[in-house]
Amino acid sequence: MDELLEQFLIEGRDLVAEANVALGVLADDPANARAIDSAFRATHTLKGSVGLFDMAPAERILHAAEDLLARARKAGTGLEIGDVPRLVATIDQVDRWIDALERSGALGADAAEVAERLLGNAPEQDAQPAAEAVPEDTASPWLLELQARHPDVLADSAAPLTAFRYAPDGDAFFRGEDPLALVATVPGLEALDLLPAGGAWPSPDDFEPFQCVMLIEGLSTAPAEALALAFRMVPGQVTLLPVEIDLPTTDAEESEGAFTAAATTVLRVEAHRVDRLADTVGELVVATNALALLAERADAVDTPLALGIRAAQADLERAVDAAARAVSAVRLVSLAPALRRLPRLVREIAASLGKQIAFTVTGAQSEVDKQIADGLFEPLLHLIRNAIDHGIEDAAARAAAGKPEAGSLTLAIAREAGDILVSLSDDGGGIDRARIRATAIARGLVSPEAADALSDAGILALIFAPGFSTAAAVTGVSGRGVGMDAVQAAIDRLRGRIEIDSLVGRGTRFTLRLPANAITTRLLVIEVAHDFYAVPFDQIAETVRVSGERLVPLGTGTACVLRERTVPVLSLAELLGSADSGTLPAKLLVTRAGGEPVALRVDGFHERMDAMVRPPSGLLAGMPLVGGTTVMGDGSVMLVLDMAELVA
Amino acid sequence: MSVRVEGRTIRVEGNGPVEDAEPILAALQEDPHRTVDLSQALRLHTASVQVLLALRPAIVGAPSDSFQARHFKLIWLNEER
Repeated sequence: MDELLEQFLIEGRDLVAEANVALGVLADDPANARAIDSAFRATHTLKGSVGLFDMAPAERILHAAEDLLARARKAGTGLEIGDVPRLVATIDQVDRWIDALERSGALGADAAEVAERLLGNAPEQDAQPAAEAVPEDTASPWLLELQARHPDVLADSAAPLTAFRYAPDGDAFFRGEDPLALVATVPGLEALDLLPAGGAWPSPDDFEPFQCVMLIEGLSTAPAEALALAFRMVPGQVTLLPVEIDLPTTDAEESEGAFTAAATTVLRVEAHRVDRLADTVGELVVATNALALLAERADAVDTPLALGIRAAQADLERAVDAAARAVSAVRLVSLAPALRRLPRLVREIAASLGKQIAFTVTGAQSEVDKQIADGLFEPLLHLIRNAIDHGIEDAAARAAAGKPEAGSLTLAIAREAGDILVSLSDDGGGIDRARIRATAIARGLVSPEAADALSDAGILALIFAPGFSTAAAVTGVSGRGVGMDAVQAAIDRLRGRIEIDSLVGRGTRFTLRLPANAITTRLLVIEVAHDFYAVPFDQIAETVRVSGERLVPLGTGTACVLRERTVPVLSLAELLGSADSGTLPAKLLVTRAGGEPVALRVDGFHERMDAMVRPPSGLLAGMPLVGGTTVMGDGSVMLVLDMAELVA
Repeated sequence: MSVRVEGRTIRVEGNGPVEDAEPILAALQEDPHRTVDLSQALRLHTASVQVLLALRPAIVGAPSDSFQARHFKLIWLNEER
């Protein structure tokens, strides 16, 4: 991508965010002089920036907004009623155009018209958020022809395609360019057409061999940004357009998702290089652990040597630890870029549902591992949609309940030790447990008996079960055929947990607890039936030793009272397909990974270690209980158990 | 010389610099029924490719470059020759 454009995509969005903060203040206090100043500055700078690109409509509406703010500033009387929504609509539109510019390099054919509507302040000004996802350019004749030439590619492609049209300059060859060699670097190329630039090839006698008369069109499975990168040396000769595979309507969610990754990758180092570094540091940690084992063995033979090895190991460990922390810090990115499109999306979702939402975000500057920042946007957007659609009541119900007309939705992000807590609270109707229970039973997700045994948290957690949806009518916003289980799956992938608090009539809070650093995982090594396994620390509530008499039969199983609570006791050996040794006192590992505390009986607790857990691959990928593998200091591979799966 | 004319056959060999386009064009203008043998070519320059597309000679073999082998075959099939 053109460096100037790249810069603008970052700065432009920063300015949009800055303007939004100021407008948020002005919505409550239209006379706040500092907020007017701040909004004016952001608008003014934004207007200057858009002037560098082919964004005349954006420049026009920003000019109008700037005028309005300048007048308010001069008069010192503050803004008038109606000014703030108009300014918000302007900034939202510019934000949409920045997205469009990134996606397709142009604002869309209706841009001038949209600008006119905004300037005229027509009542329909902001009612078509979905239109933006289908760029008008989809109707480009060349794109239609290209698609018609390759029905097979379109039919076979599961992912969205990007179409390109590359019209090399006539004198490209004289400049030493070889357009096809450039096209060979396009990633994910699925179809390629070499066409005569003038509609027909010149006749053999008139053919001028060093004049480029070729037009190159093609389809790629790579996103537009990747293509823009491949064609960065020939700006202005290439047009990129997204090809929508699901022709009926464009899913706003998909097009949002398509460039989330790009939006949050603001690292100026290519992210995969940092990943590689992180991998290497992870392996260094493992290699250092090997020295500890070596020292132990040396101890039996030569104590001074063992001491020497231990000292060397301690030094190495400190250095590796520092390196690991430094790499984690490099990977830490602010959540703000990932979150800054949320206010606009909230307004759009709310508008499409005819609801009013006051949305506030706190703690967006929190830094998390890049992987978390990249992976958080989609599940969060899903939860937000769900909250606006199902959480916040409609205006009539809110009035009847004595609540303000606008629903309140708050996203709060905070650090807690090594975790990042992302909580989304609404002041809606809360979750009706009886309805959840009834629906889950009706859908066969849980038997009535099992439902009776569930705690309050267990009932609430049912909304994340695959196939669950409480909406009587599936709405356009939430009903996309993906339930809340998609949220659960996304958070699981990030090794996080979801907690739900809900008070009927008062509101609901979803709390996502995610590891802020993702490189190494703290593990506890346990022994079961003469084998060793590792368990992630974040899945262990406590480890206890209890005497035989404290284990009491319960139904067909065993239970134990821990902290005045009866907790079922399962034999990990039996879960893993071996015989339980029955040693006493019993060693119990208590986990809450499945929501409810469950104690697992093991044969021994061993060392704690920090290690890199790799996702299971090959044969192990099919084993449900295995959360991953880790390489031990001596090079052997240890299985990392997933407690959530074990007790499920 | 990476373009050799041998009677009815034009052999294109090697790395395909932009200069190849001219002798290929000249040989085909001289005799449009010549066959172009690409089996020894590593890749073709865009300039040579557009000569072949415009003059549509019979073609034998394909460049060994994997990108060109894959996509140029498709192009010529699309041309239904």
